[in-house]
Amino acid sequence: MNERIIGKNLVKVDARAKVTGRALYPDDLYFAEMLYVKVKRAVHPHAILRKLEISRAQQLPGVVKIITAADYPELNNFGLIIKDQPVLVGIGEKMRYLGDALAIVVAESKEAAGQALAQIRVEVEELEVIDDPRRAMEEQAPLLHPDGNILCRHQLNKGELERGLAAADLIIEQEYKTNRVEQLPLQPEAGVCVYDQETGVLKLWVATQWLHDTQADIAQALGIPPERVRIIQPVIGGAFGKREDISVHIHLALAALATRRPVKLTYTREESMITQSKRHPMIIRAKSGATRDGYLTAWQVEIIGDTGAYASSGPAVVHKGLYHCTGPYNVENVRGIAYTVYTNNTYSGAMRGFGATQLAFAYESQIDILAHRLRIDPARFRYQNAYRPGSSTPNGQVLTDSVNVRETIKEAVQMSNWPGGVEL
Amino acid sequence: MQIRLTVNGEERVVETTATTRLLDLLRTDLKLTGTKEGCGKGECGACTVLLNGQLVASCLLLAPQADRAEIITIEGIGSAEGLDPIQESYLEAGAVQCGFCTPGMILASKKLLEENPRPTVEEIRRGLSGNLCRCTGYHKIIAAVRLSAQKMADKGEGKDE
Repeated sequence: MNERIIGKNLVKVDARAKVTGRALYPDDLYFAEMLYVKVKRAVHPHAILRKLEISRAQQLPGVVKIITAADYPELNNFGLIIKDQPVLVGIGEKMRYLGDALAIVVAESKEAAGQALAQIRVEVEELEVIDDPRRAMEEQAPLLHPDGNILCRHQLNKGELERGLAAADLIIEQEYKTNRVEQLPLQPEAGVCVYDQETGVLKLWVATQWLHDTQADIAQALGIPPERVRIIQPVIGGAFGKREDISVHIHLALAALATRRPVKLTYTREESMITQSKRHPMIIRAKSGATRDGYLTAWQVEIIGDTGAYASSGPAVVHKGLYHCTGPYNVENVRGIAYTVYTNNTYSGAMRGFGATQLAFAYESQIDILAHRLRIDPARFRYQNAYRPGSSTPNGQVLTDSVNVRETIKEAVQMSNWPGGVEL
Repeated sequence: MQIRLTVNGEERVVETTATTRLLDLLRTDLKLTGTKEGCGKGECGACTVLLNGQLVASCLLLAPQADRAEIITIEGIGSAEGLDPIQESYLEAGAVQCGFCTPGMILASKKLLEENPRPTVEEIRRGLSGNLCRCTGYHKIIAAVRLSAQKMADKGEGKDE
């Protein structure tokens, strides 16, 4: 092989199509006889569906079909880790956030589908809306899901926390809260589905970050073998974790099955924000101890991750956050517990950093407060506590290679002309 | 109702309605899908086109407002023979990631460079401030505009000789 690749600037394979506007994203695809899909969403964040009146909407010109849970009683729930999310909420069942789907409208045009949505009458029995995970954790709080509002607990123990606290000259304890963050890929969710009647295969042109998991999840939700679901990954307008979850996929498949015509579903930006995942808001309680000369001895955290109405990647995201509770700093004695909690908020899932980012706010703030109180330069404090080869993480992983955080701090101090010119 | 407009140099007569957005006319009726919809609210710049030489958000204009207008979309930049220097620069600078903002960015870059052939970094930032890149690839986009300015200047000097 004469041609060397590493160290060369190569033009991205699809860049030419993108700079000329020829790259086809899902909403750019058109098929003959194509129909347009829109979804009737929940009218309340926590309520039991009592009545769904579609007859008036069904009679509007251009409306081809309105699908409700009653049409497909055999549908299974879906979800990345836990199958807890319904494809459609049926009569007598609960809507748990404003993104839950009540009905799927298929029409000759987007406008006709939109008009039909407005004519669907919904009656619900309202339940208490739980928007605070601390309320969800109370014993007498109403349950969002049958097994309880605490979806999972994760714990970690390293060394002996009490010994570490006893060795500390200064202990500080603080509570931090992080916000819900929208990943906001520039392309809103969109897809096209064509049902091949000869082979029984559903062909979907839709974005996913987990092609085979998405294929399997669609198939199990519909109760068909995975080989009857074919996903063709079109050009994707960003993802950042938001496209790990099912969005338009199963609703498109149902619309194509019901009408036997090509169907397209494109979310509005508002719909994307209300229905699809977010970065977990977290409540982080951190207790940290250090010696007078600025060495960390103990670290304790309690994390409450608001995973919203459905699990999505929540158990893994909050768990990962726990593992990152001390950041790049070496602490011999660590104890932590993390709760992943259901609420009636839009569900939380994956976003850049997958749980690690939220914890940074807590541990870097703790480090600054400790350094300030101990009158030690914060850069020096970080440098002397940072991981080095042989250090171990809170979950006990011994770090052997690529442990360059100390060099990074040193360089950052030099490059930034750090006031005081601390010598590291 | 019927409107008449010139799109990328070609005269078009389109049957439309008073409530159709220019964006939908371009994407659905003329199948010029290079113009994107990111927000539908004029916030993101993905639907940017040039209307009589002005940068506009095509999601905020109704199709009849484009009657008798001259529109340039991303499909009208460059030619069958080759890319425009701005498109070339975006490729060479690695300024294309997911690509959804790219058509709007390139049109905003074109407008900026027409008005100011040698913009400073600050002027480039201001010129592209109506266009969001959620892959956050702004450094390379700015580098692409600087490279474009260089290429266009070199070309201009070549002509003079």
